[in-house]
Amino acid sequence: MIQTISYNVMQVVFILAFAPLYAGVLSRFKEIVQSRRGPSILQPYRDIWKLFHKDQILSEETTWIYLLTPYLVFVIPIFVAILIPVLTDFPLVFAFMGDMLAGGFFLGLAGFFAALAAVDTGNPYGPMGASRTRMVGFLAEPVFMIVFFTVSFVAQSTIPYIVQQKWIASPGAFFAPAHILLLIAFLMLILAEGGKIPVDNPTGHFELAMIDESKGLEFSGRGAALMKWGGQMKFLVLACIFLNVLVAPWGLAHGPALFGVILAVPLILLKIFLFAIVLVVIESSLAKLRLFRISEFLGAAFITAVAAMVTSIFPGAQT
Amino acid sequence: MALDAIVMIPALAAFLCSILPFRKAAWVITLASTWTVLPLSIVLAAQVLSGKRIVGVPGWIEADALSALVLALVSLVAALAAVFAGGYMRRREHDLSHLWWFYCNYNLFIFALLLAPALTEPNLVWVAVELITLFAVLLVGFEKTSGALEAAWKYAVLTMMGAPISLLGFFVLFWAYRSAGGGMPETWERIRALAPSMDTNLLKLSFLLVFVGFGAKAGLAPMHTWLPDAHSQAPSPVCAVLSGVKTTVPLYAILRFLSIILASPAARVGNWMIVLGLVSVAIAAFLLLQVHDYKRMFAYSTVEHMGIILTGAGLATQASDFGAVSQMMNHAITKSLCFYVAGVMLLTLSTREIKSIQGLFRVSPFAGSALLLCALAIAGAPPFPIFLSEFSILSAGVRAGRYTAVAILASLIAIAFVAIMWQVNRMMFGRPATQYVVESPPVTCRLAVVGAALPVILLGVYIPAPLHDLLQLAARQLGGH
Amino acid sequence: MTDPKVSIPEALNALSAGLVLLSAFAMVATRQVRGVVRFFVIQSLLLAASCFLLGYSRNSNHLWTLGAITVAAKAVAIPWILRRLLPGEFYERREIAQAINIPASLLLSLLLAILSEFLVGPLAAASIDSVIRINLPIGLAGVLIGAYSLIARREAIPQLIGILAMENGAFFAGIAIANELPLIAELGVAVGVMLIAVVTGLLSRNIGQTIGTTETGTLSELKEEATPWR
Repeated sequence: MIQTISYNVMQVVFILAFAPLYAGVLSRFKEIVQSRRGPSILQPYRDIWKLFHKDQILSEETTWIYLLTPYLVFVIPIFVAILIPVLTDFPLVFAFMGDMLAGGFFLGLAGFFAALAAVDTGNPYGPMGASRTRMVGFLAEPVFMIVFFTVSFVAQSTIPYIVQQKWIASPGAFFAPAHILLLIAFLMLILAEGGKIPVDNPTGHFELAMIDESKGLEFSGRGAALMKWGGQMKFLVLACIFLNVLVAPWGLAHGPALFGVILAVPLILLKIFLFAIVLVVIESSLAKLRLFRISEFLGAAFITAVAAMVTSIFPGAQT
Repeated sequence: MALDAIVMIPALAAFLCSILPFRKAAWVITLASTWTVLPLSIVLAAQVLSGKRIVGVPGWIEADALSALVLALVSLVAALAAVFAGGYMRRREHDLSHLWWFYCNYNLFIFALLLAPALTEPNLVWVAVELITLFAVLLVGFEKTSGALEAAWKYAVLTMMGAPISLLGFFVLFWAYRSAGGGMPETWERIRALAPSMDTNLLKLSFLLVFVGFGAKAGLAPMHTWLPDAHSQAPSPVCAVLSGVKTTVPLYAILRFLSIILASPAARVGNWMIVLGLVSVAIAAFLLLQVHDYKRMFAYSTVEHMGIILTGAGLATQASDFGAVSQMMNHAITKSLCFYVAGVMLLTLSTREIKSIQGLFRVSPFAGSALLLCALAIAGAPPFPIFLSEFSILSAGVRAGRYTAVAILASLIAIAFVAIMWQVNRMMFGRPATQYVVESPPVTCRLAVVGAALPVILLGVYIPAPLHDLLQLAARQLGGH
Repeated sequence: MTDPKVSIPEALNALSAGLVLLSAFAMVATRQVRGVVRFFVIQSLLLAASCFLLGYSRNSNHLWTLGAITVAAKAVAIPWILRRLLPGEFYERREIAQAINIPASLLLSLLLAILSEFLVGPLAAASIDSVIRINLPIGLAGVLIGAYSLIARREAIPQLIGILAMENGAFFAGIAIANELPLIAELGVAVGVMLIAVVTGLLSRNIGQTIGTTETGTLSELKEEATPWR
């Protein structure tokens, strides 16, 4: 019992510690692909450290929402991290506290407050970015739902750990058309929610074109650090769900041995870094979509997810 | 032997037409090939009648009574159309140097048309029917005006859309055949023999798919929309072959399939055929009332007759099958005559619109009398052959107790009759408008018109006994009781 | 729900089936002519892959040759033929004229996929062969989605690719249910497909030369009004 709680804590620490590293690696890879040197991969840590030591400046218009939001955005991914398989593939203590839908709702809650906080300051750029974020979010919601639903239907459960067991059961299940289509739909979803190209440009500084970056625009000092860190953690959490549940459910610790859990850490790191390469390739070869084309992009994701559902629900396609 | 020759000669002719030294003589080569194939096909029909089993390549190329009949029809229409084409194309085309391409195409078209009934493996029949479509598309778009190209494109898209659908249908048929234990190679006969034991769901699915796919090519509603455009824009000899036999061959394939279905427990399909046939006739009859272009008028009449044939086959009695088969024959010869006449009219008057033609009788007695003759024939007036075959279908229906179907069919035929005669009346009589520049039609065209008119007049009063027997044998292939 | 006795080739075949469906959607979703051709090539390669996999698992040389023919004809020859026949400007079109916008088209394609599952699902489920259970519905879905893209698009090349995509779908179902078809028939079909490409390509070129573009939606002279003969 103590052991599993400590593993849960280890998972949280893992997410906390490696999220900025992941962001740093991603931006470094992207710069290398573009034949530049790029910042050090530890730069995000330095940024967060620096921000924590600066003062916060608040606008007069702000309310408690503005003050609360950075903490929410920081804490919620931690909650989600407790629910998903990060290091182990057997359910840990808090695993049954909430399932994938709960995870989705939590992330949605964080996004909701971030959007509210952006409006709260009374500046023009904040609401602009917030409305765009909400547009992407509301288009992405159905896809989330369908993906979760399909996955749960196929696995007969909504707990991520149990879903994951199902996919590694046999190659037949792994290569089923439903699975592949789900992978692609979820990948498109991650690109949308994480604010990567082709949906949004994470390195852009042009406020008129920002979608996801805009949520951190109005914060300073500690608030900015928490928003940044929280955003990076959210992306890492999504990547972990994607990789550990759908794509490559191997390499996680099987048994309660501590050694297995420690060994899982470099394996997970390897998986997410490989995924980083895939992301960088995608980001470097596509162009950012025009705003009204995002609905088509997410529409395609929706169609793919429903196609996955169709091929898994109808009896003809069971392998 | 005759069968192989029939199939190979047009291919050879096409090849010859395309070689440089022979290009000038393309028309003569075409004439030679079609007029050689015609007696060969008659010989083939005689052989079938005498009970011999015709085998070209065992298991692949064989002929029974139905296919012999279709082959004979194709070769007859092809031969007369080639005669007609000589004068027509020379008059219409300003650039005579690329006529060889037309004839080369024409020969390939005839080759494909002859190939389809001769093959016994259904998937190869699919290939042959696709080839028919391809060459027909090239011919329809020959004149390269934007109207012709539009017609050709619509034709191409609509019919080629049916191709993969019918291919899937044939695959499903093959699956059903093999699951019931059929041996290779798959032939129409063997499938028929196995039909009672094949899975009815699969049979129904494959028939549906093949019907949709081939029905578009046969001009059955609601997939007929390419027909009027293609026929109004293609050169008239091509239209004759298109309407006369090219719509008949896919219908022949559908009828083969129908005979398989009727032999199996899924025999309810026959009723659906009646309904769909009646729908075609109805749409054609009502469209005939408001048509503006006489070539389109003849095209709609083709849709009508295809529907009648389908209804006849759907009634599924021996007598109605006989009616359907003789309707196929009569339609082929009458409709080709109609298009020769239409071609003569186009050459003489230089317009396709009905309302701008008046007093045709006085302007050109030859064209006028020919038009009256073929309009009466195609609308189904006695003493012309179409009247006979329609009547036999109707009476077979009455005898089988299908009174509603017969009543609907009869009234629709009557509507179509009235529509055609009304349009033709407008053109025939009255004062001729004086601005016509009348060119007398070329000799070959007149020859073709007379040549095509002879069987039409003859067969209305007297069907020679061998022909009657051939029709009976062919009808038996359709599988009615 | 999972059958642990499914072999690797059959599992990979299921993968290619899923990707075939996805490429059918992609063909509907793309805006550029080049994209349509590209996805068609991908779909043909997936079809060939399925042929190879089935040939391997059923030990059928016939399927191997069929896969090779597919690659040669559809993935190599047809794009090359189209390139040669049609001038480059028809390929450069970035916005295909279409009757229904893309998200609605995607929804309709989805409905068609569901419809095809309904139609043949029971038939396929009755079969013990797991390959048939996957290939038949997805093949029919490919046919229906191809037919839809043919209707909704208003340009020559995408319509042609739509026809060929329908063939892909029919074949994808066919290799599962009718794989002992005599090779002559398969060859004939392959030749037929190439001829379809050639003829339609020629026609498209003529259209392009006559009216200046290949937007077949603008060809609308022949309705029930009379066209004076020129």
